[in-house]
Amino acid sequence: MNQNIEIIVDGQTYEAEENSLLIDLLIKHEIKVPYFCYHESLGADGNCRMCMVEIVGQKRPQIACDTLIKPGMEVHSKGEKIDTVRTNILELELINHPVDCPTCDQAGECSLQDFYMDYGLHTSKINVQEKVTHAKHVDLGANVMLDQERCVLCARCTRFTDKITHSHELGIIGRGDDARVSTMPGRPLSNPYAMNVVDLCPVGALTSKDFRFHQRVWFLKSAEAICQGCSTGCNIYIDHNKPKYRDDTVYRFRPRRNDAVNGFFICDDGRLSYKALEENRQRQTLLEGQEIETDAACSHLKALVQQHQGNITVIIDANLYTEEITALLVYAETIKAEVTAPLEFYNDANFEDDLLKSAQCAANYQSVLDLNLSTQAPDKKGLIINFNYPEQFHADTVVSFNTHQGAQASLIFPIASYSENSGTLTNKDGLEQFSKKAVTKNSPSPTILEWLERLKQ
Amino acid sequence: MMRTCQIVSQKFAIEDAHTLSIAQEHGAYDTLAKCQEFTPLEMIQIIKESGLRGKGGGGAPAGAKWALMPQDSEQSSVLVVNCDESEPGTFKDRQIITKDPHLLIEGILLTCYAIKAQDAYVYIRGEYFQFQKVLQRAIDEAEEAGFLKNINITLHRGAGAYICGEKSALLESLEGKRGHPRLKPKQPEPEWYFGQPTLVNNVETIASVPFIIQNGAEAYRAFGTEKSPGTLLFAMSGHVQNPGVYEAEFGVSMMDYINHYGGGIKNGKALKAVIPGGASTGVITAKEAEEVTLDYEALRSMGSALGTGGMIVMDESTCMVSVLKNLLEFYHEESCGQCTPCREGTGWANTLLGKILNKRGSSADINQLLEIADTMNGKTICVFAPAVSSVIVSFLTGFRDEFEVMV
Amino acid sequence: MSFTFTPENIKTIAKLKTRYPKPQALSLPCLWMAQYQEGFISIDAIDVIAEVTETPAMEIYRVATFYSMFHLQPITKKRVMVCKTLSCKLCGSEEILAHLSKREDVLVEEVECLGSCGSAPVMQIDDLYYEDLTTQKVDAVLEQL
Repeated sequence: MNQNIEIIVDGQTYEAEENSLLIDLLIKHEIKVPYFCYHESLGADGNCRMCMVEIVGQKRPQIACDTLIKPGMEVHSKGEKIDTVRTNILELELINHPVDCPTCDQAGECSLQDFYMDYGLHTSKINVQEKVTHAKHVDLGANVMLDQERCVLCARCTRFTDKITHSHELGIIGRGDDARVSTMPGRPLSNPYAMNVVDLCPVGALTSKDFRFHQRVWFLKSAEAICQGCSTGCNIYIDHNKPKYRDDTVYRFRPRRNDAVNGFFICDDGRLSYKALEENRQRQTLLEGQEIETDAACSHLKALVQQHQGNITVIIDANLYTEEITALLVYAETIKAEVTAPLEFYNDANFEDDLLKSAQCAANYQSVLDLNLSTQAPDKKGLIINFNYPEQFHADTVVSFNTHQGAQASLIFPIASYSENSGTLTNKDGLEQFSKKAVTKNSPSPTILEWLERLKQ
Repeated sequence: MMRTCQIVSQKFAIEDAHTLSIAQEHGAYDTLAKCQEFTPLEMIQIIKESGLRGKGGGGAPAGAKWALMPQDSEQSSVLVVNCDESEPGTFKDRQIITKDPHLLIEGILLTCYAIKAQDAYVYIRGEYFQFQKVLQRAIDEAEEAGFLKNINITLHRGAGAYICGEKSALLESLEGKRGHPRLKPKQPEPEWYFGQPTLVNNVETIASVPFIIQNGAEAYRAFGTEKSPGTLLFAMSGHVQNPGVYEAEFGVSMMDYINHYGGGIKNGKALKAVIPGGASTGVITAKEAEEVTLDYEALRSMGSALGTGGMIVMDESTCMVSVLKNLLEFYHEESCGQCTPCREGTGWANTLLGKILNKRGSSADINQLLEIADTMNGKTICVFAPAVSSVIVSFLTGFRDEFEVMV
Repeated sequence: MSFTFTPENIKTIAKLKTRYPKPQALSLPCLWMAQYQEGFISIDAIDVIAEVTETPAMEIYRVATFYSMFHLQPITKKRVMVCKTLSCKLCGSEEILAHLSKREDVLVEEVECLGSCGSAPVMQIDDLYYEDLTTQKVDAVLEQL
């Protein structure tokens, strides 16, 4: 058993586990240290040589990713000597780098750029014109584009396909400065987590075909949300922006680290599920296919409720936030409706794998189980009020609250999607997580809670 | 005076000594019976006392390395013999495997006994296939004769990668991977081959073992100096009259060696410089060569190293800028590409020197060359980049004026 | 897969498997066998080697591209590898290269140190070294091929 010991970094005392990695301590305490190849999910590789620190008693600077914490260790993470070393190594990274930041989609979230700001900002010493040329714009598959010239050969992407997905599509081939990341001829990158390599890539070598050139990253705002692709509850950032004269739009999902849930990664299905957020949205309030005023629609629903007393079913979608489900249960009780939350649509054994993807493909699936809600199809055929469950049921009258078009109902209310709303979800392991609102539309659709408020009046 | 020493080259001059019958006529495998007098630990003690130093270039004490091998491990130990011999100027191990392969096999058997190994691998550079065949025939003969009952000797062919001479890269290659050097252990420990404790030694080191076991540590120490005991298959190439491999004891004068065995400088020209022990050792000037003796300590005191003892001799007509360019091309080609300073530094230095050689450089470029060398020194996983660094520095120390006139 | 090892190579592989702790160690020996069989290393061969060595094909591909003696494309002309490193250069390899560059029937490659510095200049054709070269000797060797 390793003991907790004290070490000194830049004059400050820190507690750490003996024999743990020094770089982990530096990262944990936000002590600035540049690195490309190290990644907490992939471990140390020691190839980039950027995370040099001075260790008192050692003749030469050492890489923090290959230094084990020992009792009495004294570390200098900064100072002229160490900064010079870092600057010089950084200069070497730039020798064969195209320095095409203005046209590079990574600009703004590029480690190479960041470290240049930290340790560079000097006149380049590069006094040779020739650069090693490699392939650019290589479509690796799975929405990942490769620019071999921007690559710093940190091997994070290849280690990801080796160690995390075990799919081995990527490798560093060749030798010396001819070494480059590649797939095998005719064998594209294809695994359900492939796009994580874009996040792992510290530079602009791997970019998302889906996202690139759509938005400069510094314009994006990020909301801490939960992916709704399945019941795993992967933590994500919803990156969105409201460009001038246009509507607030989601540009991408990115994984947000949570060691208790998804670690550093999300699946590609979840990542790309943002697209469905914007497409085919239900924006209008419709009665028999004709747009009506929302007040009139509310009155109409109230009349329908009166009319079908004792013969009403409320259908709850298992993706709704717990706050919405709770409010709907209260509403159902008020109107003496039966409640069901069918799950059949959300069971997909084919989706499941042993990494992150769950066969229960609704974000709040577990809450439905925890609340002991009926999951049967409605048996009463009077009035059905469906809160966004995607399957259609037949009844005398169907009223539907929908984020997206496609409901067959005489009365349809548009509702805010989860990115336009916040709330709590319980994942398959029973963990309650809060998903924050990201997007504010120019003409926002009301949330279910807002509709219920209006129906009370 | 040059004293004749034949510790590993005793059978080199004997015709057909690579065959078992001739080799046995001259004493091959006699030590196998002798070593039974010793326990494995006693064997290691003898090697320690002999002061035998690794002959692959590093010169680390072999006995200390052997002593790291566990004697009571549950996993069986492994011996790996390094015959990658890719250091420019070095062509000694091929003499052993072609002229006296049974000496190496005998050394392997003794070493395996000492470290309790059952499996030995000889990693041979891919280009040496013609020589590998000679060694393989010798192994087959030894096996038929019953010498290999308890030990498997497997020859493993490399495929063209200088870096695989570095022991951890060699082991990676032997495991079937790219030859990337491994991160170094935090404390002294054996090497590891697929998780088995492993000893890696150069061909000549292992070939020296039979003599030591046969004659004792003192007999070995009778040659060489106090700190560099024994002999080495020194070699000469370049501008010498009779290039080749000649065994000599440590501590002899470099010029005596070159004149005695090499017949002096080719075509009666004057000496300009010597790269003393393979391309990765710093170049020394003619004046330094006049003073230096061939042992680890003397060459280190000149800021160079003995390395493999493969001397590259250059006469007065040699352009030192183009010599360094030639070496940097080599290093640029051979960098494994793992660490940034080496991958990018070798290329930058090479391109920059090309610029200087084409008379398009400036004196700032010369200083930049030194700065690149500094960044390459001591900041990488293995010693490839530091070696390149020291080579650059040595050329700019000894022959700076030749670079200055180019800019 | 259109590549298969010859029965003789299959026997060799079976024997080698008893010599190494893990089949992955056979990747270099197998790559050599494949290259001797086909003249180069095809992707089909890599897939077969991956199976033999119980290693992902990508790992074999990485290995094959690391070592300078492996070729992933067919070579149509006879390869003549001339050592260009220092001792050979000092002893006239540039002259040999210049001489060879006039020939169109062979593929001349400059290679790094072949470990034959004492008999420089040197060239390699197939698995054999030709040492102490002169231009006349080069011509005589090529004549014999």
